Parts: sequence; structure tokens; C-alpha cells
Amino acid sequence: IELFFSNLGQWSRGGVTTMAPLKHLEKENPILDACFRDFCASHGILTVEDFLLHDLYQLAAFSERQTNSDRLKEGITLMLSLIELQCRPWLNGLELLDDLQRNNHTLSTGDKGTDSLLQGGIREGQLTELVGPSSSGKTQFCMQAAATVAENHLGRVLYLDTGNSFSARRIAQFICSNSDAALGQTVMSRISCHTVYDIYTMFDTLQGLEVTLRSQMNVNEYRLQLLVVDSISSLITPILGGSGSQGTCS
Amino acid sequence: MEAWRLPLSSSIRGKLISAGYTSLPSISSISSSDLARDVNITEEEAFEILRLAKQSSGSSSCNGSRSLINGAKNAWDMLHEEDSLPRITTSCSDLDSILGGGISCRDVTEIGGVPGIGKTQIGIQLSVNVQIPRECGGIGGKAIYIDTEGSFMVERALQIAEACVEDMEEYTGYMHKHFQANQVQMKPKDILENIFYFRVCSYTEQIALVNHLDKFISENKDVKVVIVDSITFHFRQDFDDLVQRTRVLSEMALKFMKLAKKFSLAVVLLNQVTTKYTEGSFQLALALGDSWSHSCTNRVILYWNGDERYAYIDKSPSLPSASASYTVTSRGLRNSSSSSKRVKMM
Repeated sequence: IELFFSNLGQWSRGGVTTMAPLKHLEKENPILDACFRDFCASHGILTVEDFLLHDLYQLAAFSERQTNSDRLKEGITLMLSLIELQCRPWLNGLELLDDLQRNNHTLSTGDKGTDSLLQGGIREGQLTELVGPSSSGKTQFCMQAAATVAENHLGRVLYLDTGNSFSARRIAQFICSNSDAALGQTVMSRISCHTVYDIYTMFDTLQGLEVTLRSQMNVNEYRLQLLVVDSISSLITPILGGSGSQGTCS
Repeated sequence: MEAWRLPLSSSIRGKLISAGYTSLPSISSISSSDLARDVNITEEEAFEILRLAKQSSGSSSCNGSRSLINGAKNAWDMLHEEDSLPRITTSCSDLDSILGGGISCRDVTEIGGVPGIGKTQIGIQLSVNVQIPRECGGIGGKAIYIDTEGSFMVERALQIAEACVEDMEEYTGYMHKHFQANQVQMKPKDILENIFYFRVCSYTEQIALVNHLDKFISENKDVKVVIVDSITFHFRQDFDDLVQRTRVLSEMALKFMKLAKKFSLAVVLLNQVTTKYTEGSFQLALALGDSWSHSCTNRVILYWNGDERYAYIDKSPSLPSASASYTVTSRGLRNSSSSSKRVKMM
């Protein structure tokens, strides 16, 4: 369902997004006229998202009682077909395997042992969680991965730091010693660091990041390839409730 | 982000939401004239709404190549900042060298050890050393000393301050031969005047004080170090609810981090030890548990090795693990191997 919703955001006509009010569709589809929209509004449906969340059998049943029930039912069917058109085409397992073997979707972490453990490195499009006791090397791992991605994969890295543990000097040590200072500068300028100290700022930051990533500027060498959060538990612990003595979330 | 969080008048906000525009992405995809028509407001108001929506969603489409989000800093710029960051010397050159020059500002450092190893001595030494003026290689700032155990002795602070002033006079006399020895303006009493002392008697007072520190430091911008001696005392006894303790402590840790970052000061938290049963034997570990151990940026553990006191870097994002020895003398913290009175200042 997540995939489905995110693709609705890519309406090709008129730049309409998921939350588009229904009236935006009227220009291309005259059947979705004011009567249809009023009928939908009477059931609390104002946007495309509301339409999807509503019980469509119930809506069809209500439309029976209206005088222009045929037109309304046509409108509902048209809405559904429009939505289906925007769906990404299906991929079967063989195509996925093909894609996996041809394109390398992993980012090397900079350490051969970890790379072989993860079968190539950190996978793109997936969330990798790193867990360990204090001073076990989590921050070092994150910094090394950030440095490797910036250097080898020519992409940008965003490091969200909650504990003042980002050290630019250490990153400079991870980047292979180049006599070329200008190259070192280019590599390091691909890594951006932002500090967040509470969970609400984190939500706002992530929301803003989502908007930026959807914009046209996220291509080629400006593409964000790695997002590191160090560490998420220090943001969640202050608001964790529950009755367990260990403070687990229940 | 929701549309009702935008700073608009309530009538406009009401019209916006009743027309179906409940979230920011739906507003930002429409032109101002369409919005004005839909929501039944004037075009200037619609334009204002769109401007606010763009601003709060943080998209800077003109210079989108430079920063991914507002406030993010480039690692290259940070490298230059870090190199120029001042450090507070501990008056013991071995200890300074393993710390990379001293206690770094903008970091939260936790120092823990068994009773009697010298934690309070380090605290007092740091609150004096932070005041060394820039001409002698220090940072010339003030200190906040939060005492929870009652172990701060003013006479000892005076003793250390006097020793510090003597060393500074010797240093300036040595380095600038044409200056007179009494060029150093600082007197031991001035040093004591610049230490802000807070005595805390319960954990609620401690939490209240930490909340108040932000305002206090905004008014006294010279403060460059905050020492808490010790952070554990009021949290070890009388706290029945461990879940609440974890919550309160992690919130306090985040507040300290924020203070350190915002005002570029050093925060030094002194911690006690407890015994932990791991791998079949009892071992000493720092108090307050595993969740607290994630809360500081650097950790230094003090321990006895035979007759000597040693300090060991347990956790640091940029320093290698190392240990160094130090002694506590009547003049404060010093190198254990040096027997000469002349101490290297920076």
C-alpha cells in the first residue's frame, strides 16, 4: 500500500499530488463535475485520498438513491480507473532477480569484513539498524560509512547527530590520505551534519528533507545517497513510557 | 506538517481546512489564484499562505544545491571550526596529551572513578584553569560549579588558584623577559569570584537547575565550563521507578548537549562507580546504568594502578584509547613523573 500511495504523488497531469482536491480533476474529466463533487463532499470526501479511504460499496449504494445515479456511478468508476492508471507496473520475481544481478544497489561501508557480512554493503532503499553497547564502535562505523560513500560513490551524505559525536577531524582521517587538498575538500563538502536534540525537531527535519528530496534538485552529484541517524534511541528514551522496569516500549 | 500549524489568522485557517486543504503538500501544489477562488479569500492572502507554506516546508528552490536542510553544516567547514576550538588544560601535560590538548569545549565529558581518586580535584582544577587569560594560552572564561555532594572546599580552591597565579607569573616572566612579573592582573580572589557555585540538595533541584542554566548562561556569556559534581548522587537512592529515572536522565543529558553546542562550552559530569556482575565476576562500572553510558560524548575513567592514579579514555569519537598517569599535589593536578616546579602551560 505504501508503494501505491507514493506513486499517486506522481500524477503526470498538472502536478496534482496525493492530497489533491477532486476539483483539480474536473478539467480533464468533465464527468467529475460539481454534482459529483457535492455528492462526495456530503460523505466527507474532498480529496483523492479521502476517496480511497472511503468504503466504495457504501458510496455506490448511496448513489443509487440519487436522481442522477448513473452519472455518479460512472464518476466513481472513472475515479478508480484513473487511480489504476497511475499504478506502477507489476514486477515479477525473475525481473527483480535480473535487476539485482545487473545493478549493484549496495553502498560499501569501507570495511571489507562488514561488506562481506552484509553481502556487498548497505542496501539502497532499506533501513539498516546498528545496535551495540556503549563505546562498541557504532559512531566510528557510521563515520567510516559516511566517508566511504562520499569518496567512492560520489553522492551526498546527511548525518543527523543527537549527541555531539560527529567529528570532522575523524572523517578527514577516514578519507584516504590524498596529497590533493582540493579533492579532500570536495569529498568532505558532500557530507552535511545537522544536530537534533528532541524528537519533534527530528520529525520537522525529516519532513523538510522529504520535500527537498522530491524536488528536481535531487539528481546526479547532488543526490542524497546515505542518511545516518546517530542515535535514534537518545531521542526516544526521554518520552518512553510503559510499566516494565527496563523501560521498554509496551 | 499540517496546515493548522501555519501562522495564520483563525478565520483564514478555518476556511482553508473546511475547503479540504489540511496538509502542506496540498497547498504547495496549487497556484495562488486557484487557492483564492477555492477558499474564498483575496489573492494577497492566498499568496501569503503559499509563501508561508514554502518557508515552513524548508524547500529553498533557488539554492537547492547547497544545503539539504536548513541548518546543516558541511563537514569541510566543521573541520576548520574543530581545529580552532579552544581546549581547557588540566595542568597535567600527560593527561592533556591523551585528551588531545585538554577538555574540549562543545563536548560533554564524563569523568568517573572510585572515591578518593581525585574527581573533585579535577573539577576544581578545571574551574580555575578555564579562567587563564588568553595571553597565557587559556580561554579566559568563567565556570559554573554544581555541587550535589557538598565536596567543594573553598580553601582548596583558593590554594589551587594561588598556585595557578604563581605559575602564570612565572610563565609570563619566562616568556616575555622584558615584562615585569606583576604584569599579570589576576589575583586569586578574582579567580574565586568567577566561579558560580550552586549547591543542590535533591534531584528535583538538580532538574530545575539544569532547566534554568540556559537562561543563566545567556545572561553570563563568559561561562565556558559547567562542572557537575556528581551527577549521580541524588539519582542513586530513593528513586523507585527506574523507568522514570532513565527518562529523566536522558532528558537531562540532551539538555546538557544542547547547552554545550549552543554556547560552545565544555560540560564535565563527574560520576561514581558501582559493581556490576558480568561474566561470572564482579566488576566496577560507572553508575546509572547502560542507558546513561550512551549519553555523553567522551568518557574518561580514573583508576588506581599500584600507587599511581591513572586516567583512561574509554569513549571518544575522535581520540584513540590511551591512559596517562597524574598526581594530586598541594598545587593541584600535576604530572606524576615531573618533579620540577615549572609547569608547561600550553
